[in-house]
Amino acid sequence: MAKEVYRFSAGERFVHWCHGVAFLLLLFTGLGVLVYAFQPAMNVFGGIQVTRNIHRVVAVLFTLGMIIGFIGKGQGARQMRRWFKDVINFRKDDFDHAKNFGIEFFGGHKPFPPQGKFNGGEKLNSMFTILGTLCIVTSGYIMWFASGPSLLLQWAYPIHAACALFMAALLIAHLYLGILHPDSNQALKGIFTGWVPAKFAYEHYEKWYNEEAKETMKG
Amino acid sequence: MARKMVFIDTSLCTGCKACSVACKAWNDLPAEKTQRISSYQTQADFTPNTWTYVRFREEYKDKKMRFNMLKLQCFHCADPACMKACSSQAIYKTESGYTLIDKDKCIGCGYCAANCPWGVPKIDEAANKAYKCTGCIDRVESGMKPACAQTCQPGAIQFGDYDEIMPQAQARVAELQLTNPKAHLYGNELMGGTTYVYLLQDRPDAYGLPLNPTTPISLTLWKDIVYPLGGIAIGASAAAITCGVIVNLVRGNYANRAKNIAASHDEGGK
Ligand code: HEM
Ligand code: SF4
Ligand code: SF4
Ligand code: SF4
Repeated sequence: MAKEVYRFSAGERFVHWCHGVAFLLLLFTGLGVLVYAFQPAMNVFGGIQVTRNIHRVVAVLFTLGMIIGFIGKGQGARQMRRWFKDVINFRKDDFDHAKNFGIEFFGGHKPFPPQGKFNGGEKLNSMFTILGTLCIVTSGYIMWFASGPSLLLQWAYPIHAACALFMAALLIAHLYLGILHPDSNQALKGIFTGWVPAKFAYEHYEKWYNEEAKETMKG
Repeated sequence: MARKMVFIDTSLCTGCKACSVACKAWNDLPAEKTQRISSYQTQADFTPNTWTYVRFREEYKDKKMRFNMLKLQCFHCADPACMKACSSQAIYKTESGYTLIDKDKCIGCGYCAANCPWGVPKIDEAANKAYKCTGCIDRVESGMKPACAQTCQPGAIQFGDYDEIMPQAQARVAELQLTNPKAHLYGNELMGGTTYVYLLQDRPDAYGLPLNPTTPISLTLWKDIVYPLGGIAIGASAAAITCGVIVNLVRGNYANRAKNIAASHDEGGK
């Protein structure tokens, strides 16, 4: 078996999948309201009134999942906090990785400076997701609980819709890189089992590999 | 059917509230227990069973008091914000100028309620549907006056074809302006032109009306910018990954994938 290194703890994987599944459910049920032509699709769950309620129930689970993932002393929560600190710390090396995003996306390659646990492109995706999530959650609760015409409620609508649509666009690219892209999809195993190929880790996250991952090598 | 107009002349209104009762009678809306809000006003806002009510404001000037009384209902805008806000295509316009809610399509989301500049539509929580004044469209389409106009004794609610009522309204304003320069029409130049037009004897805020009711900017941003741009972003993303797969295929990156991955890893250097 090829050598592997440990990348994602159980806690991180749990938060990732809670977020992913909840996002898809929220997107699906939200689109039933946003796009009229999409409304008949809501019948798979029993109709638009059912999916409107599912949207709210999943929203609460989604919010709780996010919060619980970050609190406490467990390894998972510590890793989540580390991820957060890492990705908002965007420096020149990260920029020099992210600027070649287009080339890598279409299967080319250009050398980039050694990357930490999260590379420049991942940091950008993470930052968009953090910002989008904060905005969509806040606007969502306003849409849920505010009533009557008010500026707060009126502005919540375009913010909620914008975050939903732009994060959906981001998700499409994220799925491509994780599943379809012949080089970066080596990471896919990591988000299921926690382990990624050592060679892949070295090539993509040289700094992290040398400083941390190497010690976990197995196989 | 020709464009209709309802002209509400506040200078003739006596505040008797018969319009509110007539509305209930025609539309099968039961009476509700009311309480005094202020002055002679007994209804705070619309309810699922009260689609029109009279708002009272007392104005004191030079030791004289005037009631600013306003019969409120949907304005039936030509370019209604409620209709723009509705994602479920439940709100539509008639040729005669009415804005109507299709209860079968309405999902009760409240987007219309949040965006009407006059706060007219509301959600009936029990039915989970939006409601508001229908303009008595069933009467109008059968050649009758709306119930409120039919009942009004002092003739403060005039109904008819726009081309016929508008000149009357303008003549009435001109007449009042001789003694009250503040008299003016409210509605005909708002929201694309409203079907219900008021003659006010003072500034709109003296009646508790907004001075400048408009379609909220946030609504235009939401429907005319966020939706199309969001759609483009999703389309562009889908197109980009399709190209990504094709380019990777052409470059042989899938065919060589196993080989690339298997190539032994020389730890510590390339
Ligand atoms: C805590 C999180 C969230 C809350 C509380 C929330 C709440 C809401 C509420 C109350 C509505 C109004 C629709 C209705 O009344 O049925 C709504 C609409 C919607 N939501 Fe969410 N939501 C949340 C997260 C999300 C997420 C993560 C997505 C996307 C993936 C999403 C996508 C949508 C969409 C597309 C709409 C329709 C918006 C429109 O018509 O423009 N929501 N949401
Ligand atoms: S007054 Fe409000 S509810 Fe009536 S048509 Fe105009 S925007 Fe719609
Ligand atoms: S409450 Fe009904 S009429 Fe109002 S916006 Fe929602 S679906 Fe449309
Ligand atoms: S037009 Fe009809 S529904 Fe509207 S307020 Fe008058 S009586 Fe009521």
